[in-house]
Amino acid sequence: MEILDKLINVALIAATLRTTAPILLVALGGSFTTKAGIFNIGLEGQMLVGAFFAVLGSIWTGSALAGVACGVAAALVFALVFAVLVVSFKANEVVVGLALNILAGGMTISLMKAIFGTRGSIVGHGIVGLPKVQLPGARDLLGSWAPLISGFTPLVYAAFIAVPLLVVCYNRTRLGLYIRVVGEKPEAAEALGISITRVRYIASLLCGLLAGLAGAHLSLGYITMFTENMSSGRGFMAVAILIFSNGDPLKVLAGCLLFGFADAFSLRLQTFGYPSYLVLTVPYVVALIALFALSYRARPRIIAETLESMRKLLSVDRNTEPGGKNPQ
Amino acid sequence: MLSNTPGSPTLHSNAAMAVELTGITKRFGAFVANDGIDLAVRRGEIHAIIGENGAGKTTLMNILFGLLQPDEGSIRLNGEEIVIADPSVAIKAGLGMVHQHFKLVPSLSVADNVFLSMEIRRHGLIDHAAQVARTRDLSKRFGLQVDPTERVGLLSVGIEQRIEILKVLVRGARTIILDEPTAVLTPQESRELFQTLRSFVAEGMTVIFISHHLEEVMEVSDTVTVLRNGRKVATRPTAELSKDELVHMMVGREVSFDRRPRASLHGDVVLEVKDLWARDDRLLPALRDASFTVRSGEVVGIAGVAGNGQTELAEVLSGLRPASHGGAWLKGQNLTDLSPAAIRQAGLAHVPGDRMVRGVDRNASIAANTLMGRQHRAPWSRGGMLNWNAINQNAETLIKSFDIRARGPSDAVKRLSGGNIQKVVLAREFTDGADFLLIDQPTRGVDIGAQEAIHDEIMRQRAAGRAILVISVQLDELAALADRILVMFNGRIMGEVSGDDADEERIGMMMAGVAAPEFAAETAS
Repeated sequence: MEILDKLINVALIAATLRTTAPILLVALGGSFTTKAGIFNIGLEGQMLVGAFFAVLGSIWTGSALAGVACGVAAALVFALVFAVLVVSFKANEVVVGLALNILAGGMTISLMKAIFGTRGSIVGHGIVGLPKVQLPGARDLLGSWAPLISGFTPLVYAAFIAVPLLVVCYNRTRLGLYIRVVGEKPEAAEALGISITRVRYIASLLCGLLAGLAGAHLSLGYITMFTENMSSGRGFMAVAILIFSNGDPLKVLAGCLLFGFADAFSLRLQTFGYPSYLVLTVPYVVALIALFALSYRARPRIIAETLESMRKLLSVDRNTEPGGKNPQ
Repeated sequence: MLSNTPGSPTLHSNAAMAVELTGITKRFGAFVANDGIDLAVRRGEIHAIIGENGAGKTTLMNILFGLLQPDEGSIRLNGEEIVIADPSVAIKAGLGMVHQHFKLVPSLSVADNVFLSMEIRRHGLIDHAAQVARTRDLSKRFGLQVDPTERVGLLSVGIEQRIEILKVLVRGARTIILDEPTAVLTPQESRELFQTLRSFVAEGMTVIFISHHLEEVMEVSDTVTVLRNGRKVATRPTAELSKDELVHMMVGREVSFDRRPRASLHGDVVLEVKDLWARDDRLLPALRDASFTVRSGEVVGIAGVAGNGQTELAEVLSGLRPASHGGAWLKGQNLTDLSPAAIRQAGLAHVPGDRMVRGVDRNASIAANTLMGRQHRAPWSRGGMLNWNAINQNAETLIKSFDIRARGPSDAVKRLSGGNIQKVVLAREFTDGADFLLIDQPTRGVDIGAQEAIHDEIMRQRAAGRAILVISVQLDELAALADRILVMFNGRIMGEVSGDDADEERIGMMMAGVAAPEFAAETAS
């Protein structure tokens, strides 16, 4: 009981929110492309260049904000290349996404070597991290629960505020509606004079914007350093969440919270002396179990639908077919 | 001023005309889809355009709506000449088109679909309540019952069509074109649609209605224009027309084939069809109580306006569609329980009506296409491996004996002309030793030279003692080939005539649904 108390407390929930933020940002970005009918496997790469250039920008300018802007700009360039190849030239989106991911991994390593002369990670060099925002009055209002809403870096707030904004976007704005239409029924968009190309470009760039923010949060908010391949599969995890949430912002949030919790929990477990390699698999195991549970739950539905359609076919036959001679 | 072209029945002043098409010609390569068509549609009428599949109806309407550009001819709307470069011009000019294939977004509500691309917005956000209210108003006014808040993905095809009509109305259409609107509807839904169309006319709107169903045209339209083979046959007030006149205009009397000489050599019954029923894709009865036989050395023809159950008959006999009642026996074996492969094993060869869908793989070579269906048998397959030497040699032989104009067995089928593709199908189907040949539309879309060659081949197969069933919408083709002609209407075999004195009047009556009792007696025997 005591161990449980130590494991699960306000600090763990706060840590969950912190670990959820980067994957939530990138998954919400991917929500735009998913809804627009693009399978964007390049989230990982966009996030990685975002993280690297955010650090670079922060060192050059000495400003965390300028660092974030640099990270976003780099991710946008990747998103633009993706859009040009996939939307304009109709290249296979999986191939392009994978290629850009590999490019991002290699490019950040070589640039790190060229600029800093090191491999592995960039620490120090005057990286300016994002400040923590202390909400005034949080402590008076919530007492010991205050860490739940106060003391995060700005991008954590941005990630969670983005969820309702996306809900409104998809349901109440013209752009959101068109993104959905283009993804779901491109013929309908075409017939009504909605430019599929334009909408898909906008969706790709919005995705790049959020993926860049996610990357910047990793290297400037989460911790203040850059390491090789520091996105460590979060982009792919986002892709998995997108597949079973169909890009719906609220379902994306739920999926990301689950992953964020598993992530924070595994960090927690490490401090209790469990072998770290085993503990680090926790988030991925959780993701696999979630995927399995969801598809397992969908199974009876498929069976029910099949039975229903068979029944319909059979009963129609029995009711209206002549017993022997024609009914007319 | 625009011309009343000779023969065109433009009796009213031009301003009374909602739509005037003059001398519209559209070619696709060598194929002429529309050949100098004149069409005048009076404001406030329901104008039906009727013709068989491939007569050029949809092409003509796509030109009017700006989806295609005519090679020749001009368009006037309400007396004003206009160039309709794309559908947006047509919509601005007050035209609306309800296509055969709906373009709705399943996850959006009815109202969202209706207002898509012209959303009502307030403070930059979409005003769902206003959209729902306006959709409800429109649907009440024209009797198009829908729940505006429901998701489209949950609705039936009939309701989807209403939504498409609402889309057109919201965009301010005064002239509405419907392309085969009843093809997807149940009879009940069709009646409701007709009522809606009448309410449009009552409000001074104009309806152009494409169909190949005689009865609904007779029921709902004020004026009929008949198209055949890309040409206009006539435009007449519906009230002055009888059904069989309409059939004659649709099917035509042009005779391009002479009757083939033949020796009488009818042998044993090969195919026996008894009390056969089948449903179409909407689960409505499409084939009703068909009974007939085909003997060896006999060509039996099935005549009828397209869509009267012939397709379903062919599909049941080839195992592609289940029979709902009755049976068909090929040399004593009931086909209705068998898979397509087993039916072929039992002795069927099938030349499908749509060769590009079911006849060939257009991207594969001639050799591969002549192999299909027998790839597991010797000598084409040896020890689980294809024997390409034998396959290519056989294809070479077939190319010669069926006079297929190609460079060789490795030529892709898609490079061939329609006639030569059909010959590839015939070559495959006729050389497998089947006793029963089911040939659906032997010469559809085939040039005259190839038509003669295909007819020669069918007659050779007859002389070889095969039992042959030919389904065709071309009467003269059946008159040239068939020993007996069965006429189908509304899924039923209306009667039978002998091929030797194929009386077009009688066949026409039966195609229009008028039973011929003196022939019915013959069929029963």
